Amino acid sequence: MKPKTVAMFFILGVVVLLLPHLAGKYYAHLFSLVFVNVILAASLRPSLLCGQLNIGHSAFMSIGAYTSALLAKKLGLPFELSLLCGALIATLVGLSIGYPALRLRGVYFAMVTVAFVEVIRLIAQIWVSLTRGMSGLSAIPKPSILGLVLETKTEQYYLALVLLLLVLLILYKVEHSRLGLIWKSIGMADNLATSLGVNVAGYKLLAFALGCFFAGVAGAFYAHFIRFLFPPEFSFLMATNILVYNFVGGKGSFVGPIVGAVFLSLLSEPFRGSPYETIFFSIAMLLTILLLPGGLITLPGKLASLRQWGSGAALSPTTVPAGAGVAVHE
Amino acid sequence: MSNPEAHREKPMALLEAHHLTKHFGGLAAVNRVDITVEEGEIVGLIGPNGAGKTTCFNLLSGFLPPTAGTITFNGEDITGLRPHQIVARGLVRTFQLTTLFQDMTVLENVLLGLHLTSRRGLGQALWHRHAFPHDEIARSHEVLEFTGLASHAEQLAKNLPHGHQRTLGIAMALAARPRLLMLDEPVTGMNFEESQRIMGLVQTIRDRGTTILLVEHNMRAVMSTCERIVVLSFGQKLAEGTAAEVSTNRDVIAAYLGTGSAHA
Repeated sequence: MKPKTVAMFFILGVVVLLLPHLAGKYYAHLFSLVFVNVILAASLRPSLLCGQLNIGHSAFMSIGAYTSALLAKKLGLPFELSLLCGALIATLVGLSIGYPALRLRGVYFAMVTVAFVEVIRLIAQIWVSLTRGMSGLSAIPKPSILGLVLETKTEQYYLALVLLLLVLLILYKVEHSRLGLIWKSIGMADNLATSLGVNVAGYKLLAFALGCFFAGVAGAFYAHFIRFLFPPEFSFLMATNILVYNFVGGKGSFVGPIVGAVFLSLLSEPFRGSPYETIFFSIAMLLTILLLPGGLITLPGKLASLRQWGSGAALSPTTVPAGAGVAVHE
Repeated sequence: MSNPEAHREKPMALLEAHHLTKHFGGLAAVNRVDITVEEGEIVGLIGPNGAGKTTCFNLLSGFLPPTAGTITFNGEDITGLRPHQIVARGLVRTFQLTTLFQDMTVLENVLLGLHLTSRRGLGQALWHRHAFPHDEIARSHEVLEFTGLASHAEQLAKNLPHGHQRTLGIAMALAARPRLLMLDEPVTGMNFEESQRIMGLVQTIRDRGTTILLVEHNMRAVMSTCERIVVLSFGQKLAEGTAAEVSTNRDVIAAYLGTGSAHA
């Protein structure tokens, strides 16, 4: 890495570490939610690598959130355990819906996931005795670590940061291992992968289940952070937003969904919960498709090539800037 | 590639398809075809366009379920097994069109060929510092060396010239350590020198112990390389024999001239 890049990462790290002290409680709250969105976006990536358009990710967040909240509220389970249970239940439900659905391809699979979001939302809405339905589930215990309750938003911010880094580390390791290569091969040419002995259905299911697990983690943290769950929050809209993070950030790289989730969560903050949110995300998606098909991660490369043109230094038109042609993988 | 059973005194039938049949709606794309491949042979499957060659390949490799008939490989009934299960038994195929993962490097393509014998769980992904164990990298380089692609290891597959791309397709299949390698039109679209080189490679692969079954339109390549040729026409087996026998067979000549093909 160049010294300039190292310096940038260093500054970024310091800012992230000191954010609650530099910017105050509101930003600690806001960025905790941004981190949740990043976990959601990044955990959708394995499925996208396999070429599976999953528009149902919010359902697994919802399952993780409700499971963890109810276990903590009704049985008094400690946060660490209830979070783990939430993630595991989300994974189990994911496996049971994924096993039959992953045999479908492309838009048919996407339709199943859309229907599933609605089913989960309706269950949360109708099963009043358990979830309190449209009255919302309130007074969820604050997160705690080893019995120590994290009272302030600042403490909870650091919990979110640790969770985020753990999840990203695991997902990064997995994507850059043989497993990631297998997923990419399925996304590029599933028949060819099969002909080399890859059990395509099995690996798609693994990618899907891994995504469900981390969506469950994100949901569980969210439940104890916001301390109030309301079924319509985990809607189809939220699921499409998670997908949009991936596309706007860029599908070609691991950092794509991270960049996309941070960028869009912050920009859409003024519209959160209003009808303008949908319009904002739609415009972001359309602009990406029209102007920057590779996503935001390809922007520096594009800008560099523009600058070259502008300065007239483009003596050798064959030199393509490094970022401009970012391949589907890496 | 190295197979101790390949050099037996008396060849045994490695692959036996009996009365293989595939109907698409009312059309019998493959109709009661018998194909036998002995261990250590190079067998060619030829026929005019639409004769059912590729369908045959898809049936044998499990990509299509047969309507009727049985397939035995190495003494085991493999009819109805899923494709990746058939690959695991040592029957590996290549494709006519999708031959490689375009946006991956040549090395990554071959690494994927090693899939069946690789370490590939979540554990490998999380606990090991290197994405791929050294022996897998070394084995991939061996395959690249053997196929003459070693100097291109770090290139993106899509940037290779056509001839090298087809070679890479074969290299990936080889990495899966087949007992029987089925090649679907390995030299299509190649000039004479390129196709000579590929057919030479095919012979070397066979000499190292892998049996070959290939579909090809390039008659010169088929006639000079294959020891036995099976001719299909309209889904049925028309003739079978050596290159000399097949090329003088009246039915075969009629089938080819009838379609206006200039190859024969």
